[in-house]
Amino acid sequence: MRIREHPILTYEKGREVEFEFDGKSISGHEGETIAAALHAAGVRVLRKSIRHARPRGFFCAIGRCSSCLMTVDGVPNVMTCVTPLREGMRVETQIGKGEIAEAGAAVPGWDTADAEPADTPADLGSVPLAIVGAGPAGLSAAIYAGRLGIESIVIDENDVPGGQLIKQTHMFFGSLDHYARVRGIDIGTELCRELESCPARLLTGTTALGLYGDGTPAKTLSLLRKGRHHRLRADAVVLATGASENVLAFDNCDLPGVYGAGAVQTLMNVDGVAPGDSVLMVGAGNIGLIVSYQLVQAGVRVAAVIDALPEVGGYHVHAAKIRRLGIPILTSHTILRADGADRVESATIARVDEDWKPVAGTEETLHVDTICLAVGLTPNCELASMAGCEEAYVPELGGRVVRHGADLETTLPGVFIAGDASGIEEASTAMLEGRLAGVAAAARLVPGLDPDRVAKLREQAVAGLRDLRAGPFGRAARVGKEKMRELVGSREGAESGPQA
Amino acid sequence: MKTSADCVIIGGGVIGTAIAYYLAKRGLTDCVILESSYLASGATGRCGGGIRQQWSTEANTKLAIESVRAFAGLEEELGRDIEFLQGGYLVLAYTDEDVEQFEKNVALQRGLGLAVEKLTPGEINERVVPELNTEGVRMATYCADDASANPFLTTQAYADAARRLGVTIELFTPVTRVLTDRGRISGVETSRGTIEAPVVVNAAGSHSVLLARSAGVEIPVTPYRREILVTEPLERFFHPMIISFSFGIYFRQVKHGAVIGGFGSPDEPAGFNETSSLDFLTTMSWKLERLMPRLATVKIVRQWAGLYDMTPDAQPILGELDELPGFFQASGFSGHGFMIAPKVAMLLAKTIVGEEPDLDIDRLNARRFAGGSITQDRSVV
Repeated sequence: MRIREHPILTYEKGREVEFEFDGKSISGHEGETIAAALHAAGVRVLRKSIRHARPRGFFCAIGRCSSCLMTVDGVPNVMTCVTPLREGMRVETQIGKGEIAEAGAAVPGWDTADAEPADTPADLGSVPLAIVGAGPAGLSAAIYAGRLGIESIVIDENDVPGGQLIKQTHMFFGSLDHYARVRGIDIGTELCRELESCPARLLTGTTALGLYGDGTPAKTLSLLRKGRHHRLRADAVVLATGASENVLAFDNCDLPGVYGAGAVQTLMNVDGVAPGDSVLMVGAGNIGLIVSYQLVQAGVRVAAVIDALPEVGGYHVHAAKIRRLGIPILTSHTILRADGADRVESATIARVDEDWKPVAGTEETLHVDTICLAVGLTPNCELASMAGCEEAYVPELGGRVVRHGADLETTLPGVFIAGDASGIEEASTAMLEGRLAGVAAAARLVPGLDPDRVAKLREQAVAGLRDLRAGPFGRAARVGKEKMRELVGSREGAESGPQA
Repeated sequence: MKTSADCVIIGGGVIGTAIAYYLAKRGLTDCVILESSYLASGATGRCGGGIRQQWSTEANTKLAIESVRAFAGLEEELGRDIEFLQGGYLVLAYTDEDVEQFEKNVALQRGLGLAVEKLTPGEINERVVPELNTEGVRMATYCADDASANPFLTTQAYADAARRLGVTIELFTPVTRVLTDRGRISGVETSRGTIEAPVVVNAAGSHSVLLARSAGVEIPVTPYRREILVTEPLERFFHPMIISFSFGIYFRQVKHGAVIGGFGSPDEPAGFNETSSLDFLTTMSWKLERLMPRLATVKIVRQWAGLYDMTPDAQPILGELDELPGFFQASGFSGHGFMIAPKVAMLLAKTIVGEEPDLDIDRLNARRFAGGSITQDRSVV
């Protein structure tokens, strides 16, 4: 199940090591995730659900959904999709809730062996600007704040910066200034290189657990780094926390083998593991189309791409590539059910009418072992919400989103939000929002800072966003951002006082 | 929305919904509950869910014993699982003062028929919680009949039962003003219009003081933030609610398997602040790990804050205000409203319809503060 040859990617793997799975010895690569190693070894069922003991595999592969929890070295509820494999690990299928670990047990992934010296203060002190998320938005924010001389710390829970860019093998569109014709994986590398010339410190392998407003201008972040709790104070914060994969409700949608599109990308493009032999792609937006193409590149059969909408939502150029490969794109189709003993063995689809109701007699069963859901994303608002930033419901931006003004500042002064976290779009707009937030945060931190340069950089970012959101494919973002402006405007009108 | 009703209850927490249910059972069904957000969105849904009978005054202990009795029959009466569990309460003593007070408490509680035991540290580990670190613990009192329940399910159960009897519940409908006419209550003004009513029950927790003020009356209720956290779920490994007044902690394992607990900071300023703090997270983690070392590997999944509606004697304000006929108070529960809700609501409902309550709640009327002498219960965590 490992991908041996790939037209674009080469996989750098750790040494091969043995570990234990439910008493059996199997091998994997050191440093890859436990879930990836198990998947490569053909293991799909990672746990049994608490109430009905249903088999569960992973779903998001980025440590957000809790579908992959297993007992590792005696510790229950370990997120195996983000926990690196070590030699000799004892991995067990978790049945139900799991038993509390014995006193003195070490939490897997909280390695102390390569941690900083024990005398490292748990207090990281303070920094002018803290940025959560080292994806396209977060890195851009650090670079642009840095160009204005603002010092920052960029925090990311992954060991490798770049966010979702590290799994995007396709070339970007847009203008050259926005990395057109460059592959996502290379953009991440390029941004990290640019960051090196900035007064920015990158803190990878560090999870932001909480953001505390604490009622003062300075904000406090609580961080988990190599098993230790740290606190970091910042005068301004940019939240570039990205998004989480949406699920779709259908019969047996929790069967192992039903994966989010991001998880499928992570498996094949980061881990070099094929998600299955044949895939049904649900969703014909850009992500569904691009991931379908990537699956074919990785040697996986794509049985069909379906979408409930009457038209393909993604770019025509992506759709044309899929059609040329002979993969049917079935619009006005939905998935009714998945079937299989303890993993997906088939999927039943049907045509839908104008009221989105399945049409009787149009059911068709496809023999696939993987169902990939590319049905949208939801912004990750938790940190903003916890700090007390106001939220609003804007369907065009992905549902519940953090209220923000034109400069991406939230209702909590000094807290900015950028990228998918501010509303679902794409990596190109995320980079521009990151630039805008970085510039706006710098301007807020240093009143009167180089006004001409600030104005120019801000205008460039705003103009770039306007360009990228032009045309029919930018409609949702345009409408969503317009609604946001109205919301913030009405709020400013209703309550006097300084607002974002 | 209705424009008039026999009774309006402000607050969709456990107190408001329970009062509505017991009123409706007594035939007062033309009743509207007004909730500014969703059911149990205030102090009810933020509390730890403990139900304790071990108190230091006779009146409170009697009320608590009756409350556990009421809780025990609630699932059958309301037709819904509320995760009621008699897992006991283990109260830890660390100081001379604790020990002295606990001896007095136990004598009083036993006199009222409560089965409460005194345990040595060794007995705590042998009989109740093997995992507990008893270092520094002088003794503990343990009442195996003390209990816990799920505050959300309890509120929902009361709300559903009340609705079945004809009560109307309006969610996301904040009351903007309590209305009076010629010295008595006349109704309420809400974000969605006015409701006329001869009886208004103020069950709005910390916000009750603002509502009372809108009608021109003052009640001595002060909000204080209290913080709390919850861990990932695990198979059950201990049963009782474990608390200590001097160490400052309470925690239990809920039916779902998560450990939920908190403590009150003595330095907390008064106010409506409901945000979470990092200091709480850090200190609470330390306290939990100290008392139960095996919790060291357990992941905290969430922290939040709620408001205690404190009164000068840490006891609720119940009943009609002398200065404003028709305006009934049911607030100021000072952090232990959930555990006495069924009995208190039943008593207040009786008072409202003019029945004789079977337990004295007149002692809890707001007029007690006019007299100057109040009794403080020492068992508030």
